[in-house]
Amino acid sequence: MVHITINGKVVKAAEGEMLLTVLKREGIDIPALCHHEAIEPTGNCRLCMVEISRAEWEGWKKHVTSCLYPVEDGLIVNTHTPEVIEIRKTIIDLQLANCPDSDVIQKMAEEYGIYKTSYETVPEGDNCIMCYACTRICEVLGKSAISAVMRGHKKVIAPPFGEEPPDCIGCLACAQICPTNVIPWTDTDSTRTIWKKTFDLITCTSCGKAVITKDFAEYLMAQRQIPKEYFETCDECKRMATARKMGEIVTKAQEAAL
Amino acid sequence: MRIDSIAKLSQWRQECQAKLAAQKRKVLVCLGPGCLAGGSDEILEEFKRIVAEKKLADISVEAVKKTGCHGFCARGPLVVIEPEGIFYSKVKKANVAEIVETTLEKGKLVEKLLYTDPRTDKTYTDYKEIPFYARQERISLRNVGQIDPDEIGEYVARGGYAALAKVLTEMKPQDVIDAVSQSGLRGRGGGGFPTGRKWATCAREESDIRYVLCNGDEGDPGAFMDRCIMEGDPHSVLEGMIICAYAVGSREGYVYVREEYPLAVINMQKAIDAAHECGLLGANILASGFSYDIKISRGGGAFVCGESSALMRSVAGEVGEPRAKYIRSVVKGLHDKPTVLNNVETYATVPVIMEKGADWFRSIGTEKSTGTKAFSLAGKVRNTGLIEVPMGISLREIIFDIGGGIPDGREFKAVQTGGPSGGCLPADKLDLPVDFDTLTRAGSMMGSGGMIIMDDRTCAVDVARYFLNFLVEESCGKCVPCREGLYQLHKLCVKICEGKATENDLALMERLSKVIQTASLCGLGQSGPNPFVSTVQYFRDEYLAHIRDKKCPAGVCRELITYTINDKCTGCLACIKVCPVDAITGEKKKLHVIDQEACTRCGSCYAVCNFDAVDIV
Amino acid sequence: MKYQFEVIPSKCIGCRTCELACAFAHAQNQKPGKSRIYPLAYAPDKYVPVTCLQCDDAACVKSCMFNALRRNEETGAVELDKERCVKCGACVAACPFGCALIDDVHDEIVKCDLCGGSPACAAFCPTKALVYKRV
Ligand SMILES: Cc1cc2nc3c(=O)[nH]c(=O)nc-3n(C[C@H](O)[C@H](O)[C@H](O)COP(=O)(O)O)c2cc1C
Ligand code: SF4
Ligand code: FES
Repeated sequence: MVHITINGKVVKAAEGEMLLTVLKREGIDIPALCHHEAIEPTGNCRLCMVEISRAEWEGWKKHVTSCLYPVEDGLIVNTHTPEVIEIRKTIIDLQLANCPDSDVIQKMAEEYGIYKTSYETVPEGDNCIMCYACTRICEVLGKSAISAVMRGHKKVIAPPFGEEPPDCIGCLACAQICPTNVIPWTDTDSTRTIWKKTFDLITCTSCGKAVITKDFAEYLMAQRQIPKEYFETCDECKRMATARKMGEIVTKAQEAAL
Repeated sequence: MRIDSIAKLSQWRQECQAKLAAQKRKVLVCLGPGCLAGGSDEILEEFKRIVAEKKLADISVEAVKKTGCHGFCARGPLVVIEPEGIFYSKVKKANVAEIVETTLEKGKLVEKLLYTDPRTDKTYTDYKEIPFYARQERISLRNVGQIDPDEIGEYVARGGYAALAKVLTEMKPQDVIDAVSQSGLRGRGGGGFPTGRKWATCAREESDIRYVLCNGDEGDPGAFMDRCIMEGDPHSVLEGMIICAYAVGSREGYVYVREEYPLAVINMQKAIDAAHECGLLGANILASGFSYDIKISRGGGAFVCGESSALMRSVAGEVGEPRAKYIRSVVKGLHDKPTVLNNVETYATVPVIMEKGADWFRSIGTEKSTGTKAFSLAGKVRNTGLIEVPMGISLREIIFDIGGGIPDGREFKAVQTGGPSGGCLPADKLDLPVDFDTLTRAGSMMGSGGMIIMDDRTCAVDVARYFLNFLVEESCGKCVPCREGLYQLHKLCVKICEGKATENDLALMERLSKVIQTASLCGLGQSGPNPFVSTVQYFRDEYLAHIRDKKCPAGVCRELITYTINDKCTGCLACIKVCPVDAITGEKKKLHVIDQEACTRCGSCYAVCNFDAVDIV
Repeated sequence: MKYQFEVIPSKCIGCRTCELACAFAHAQNQKPGKSRIYPLAYAPDKYVPVTCLQCDDAACVKSCMFNALRRNEETGAVELDKERCVKCGACVAACPFGCALIDDVHDEIVKCDLCGGSPACAAFCPTKALVYKRV
């Protein structure tokens, strides 16, 4: 257990815990676009920056991204200094120029009083904020089917060679985790297409509703030893089956009691 | 031959020295990057051919040697004849026969190939007396240009691996660290971090494995110090790395060499193989029980790969992109193990410190920046090339005494130090001593040692635009302030160059720069706005001229200048012929006129006019 | 485990009070959540309240690649950590009883969390077909 001072208040935290986690627990509003608990922090968006200092630093301070700064005893944190606000506003302003059509960014900008970007709108902007959440989540699955390619402003998230990603299993984790919802996919009754790759969906044997992609089910069967039959029906039909099965048991018990 | 004792090493050294001493005369042909581009490989072959043919008494074919960069690239291809040190510049293949005949056979000079200082008209024979060389002090470059990099024996003859022998037999690891600390050596790769402190931290870390890496990425445009050391004296780098490995307890390391440096890769590999064969690298070095091995890792070709965390990821086979972390790489570096990463020049300096002592090293340079530093001079300076000078020397001495000043009768305007993300210093900073802290205080930085000199025909805004463009291209694109921030900063800079910006834009740029500097993830972004910040600090008037008066005082920014023809025009038709858009009209022997509507301001007429008749306003 | 959740189907009258209680217990911003419990008729006028059985070797826990499902040793419930959930739907597909669900209204994956130790369904069930008790 360590003690840190946040905006003048002493707070307890676990040693090595990331500062952002502590700040959130304390109910402090810190914008964070690239942070997600399921993935390792990488510090791409820089929005979660706060000012830190220590008593022995004699007034010297620095700015760090709280999402990947492990707390240590005696840390003094200030989350809303004019410099910190200036950093956040500038970054949001830059993001607004980069993704003018993203409602997530627009909303965030409005919270900081920015209604129009101070910069020139990026012509080739596509609402991707390059937070790497998608590539990182895919890495957690051990797939890394997509990655960031090229450099600098030309950087894009793409499958290898821009072709159908061979390692993709169509789980949608990338599309779901994307904070600005820019990864498109389409589902039909029996197929799903993402990253230009089309997958067969398992359809419920009783009602025909889509469950998950065959590839994802096979992955879970192999990785996590989930029996194949669990994936064969949809959740609703599984609940109905459960009711029937339990009902049978109840009926039998009642008959036996008679 | 395996050298498995100190005695054997000394004996071998004597043999190597004797072999060299037996070569009464030597011809050293520079095969550094500049001279090579001028065809010096053919000159070398020609020398060998003629010397072999003539069977001269004083010189054998073995004594015609290739060397690394001699430094005075502006005058290349260079040939030096030892023992006199006769310095022939701008040598052509056709001159070789004459040199052999006149100098090697008759002992006379080929006058026309000697160097004459254009400022004093003094002609020099011995290169050591040429002002370009006379003011230098070479430590990390001690052998570059002096030895054949492929011959480990030549390195040994000049005292190579003596420091390693001393370290392994007389010093404990802690003694080595103490000596490096006391010498005050600071990293030559850019940051100027105290090398001894870095080694001490790494050695202190509990770990089964530690790595010692060498940064040979050298991505700064115009810089080639590290390249010349790796190509011209690879063993000095290896020896420094082995000493470091011994000090911190590492058994394994990598030299990270930029993909664009194929010769450096070849020469480093040859050196590694040679050192291996002699037992100076690998298992049980010099039978001391200490083992260390070095492999070459080839760079990913991006500027950002020189950044330490990106480099380590690249060595580990991952994408060469910086990793954000608040744990330093000396603690958790390559494969999350404690890792020392130093620059090529830093390592090349280490053996000399071990041999001559920390106090000797401290006696050179300034109190906080000890020793010497290599620089590459580029841009609008007469003597472009590679130099090494004691720290604390003034910019003026470097640019004017060594560099020979500004050519073509132009004026000095600024010097860019510290690579693309360094800063521009104006004329009134010329007397500043060159050391880590002074340059940083003045708004620039030492960087890895690139120096780009600019004359009065350079526009400060255009320079900022140029370097910002480089950084926009080289930003890895991972973090927002650098990717989006530098992109917008560059756009705004272009807007100024085009005369479309307002003073609000300038204020926005200044605010944006501050955020990019504090919020970026790695050093690239953190120093990215420097080209703008330092030029606006020293050349604000020029920025304002672009903004308020829509004028480019240096006459560079196309949108803001016009070309006109004055009455010096002789009516020679030269400009009319070169104008790509036929915007010039006029008859022979009559004043020509430029149609401003049609003119695209490409500058062709200005370049071709022999009579100073084209004005830029 | 200190507590046990018991379902007694024979007592269920299919009144769906539990469903309502659950939805309101999991309301966000005044919007009721998706119920985690379903009294389903298996025969005319015969019902089973189907809900998560907090299996020992739970398929949902196994299927989650991001460790978002973990057992609360205190309550015995397998809880879903919203901060870690990516909404990939693996648990929904994997649960053999169909008790991991997609809440379209709040755009999230949900499952019974035993209301953190005081399940609303059990509290409201008029016939005590749902019992949460110390063991
Ligand atoms: C964008 C960027 C590029 C860099 N490029 C180089 C390089 O090419 N060579 C180098 O030695 N150091 C480079 N550095 C500095 C290294 O990160 C590191 O500090 C250095 O190699 C340490 O060695 P030293 O202490 O001997 O200088 C670069 C740093 C940054 C931020
Ligand atoms: S500062 Fe630039 S180069 Fe460094 S991580 Fe950020 S985007 Fe990449
Ligand atoms: S949340 Fe910390 S940098 Fe994005």
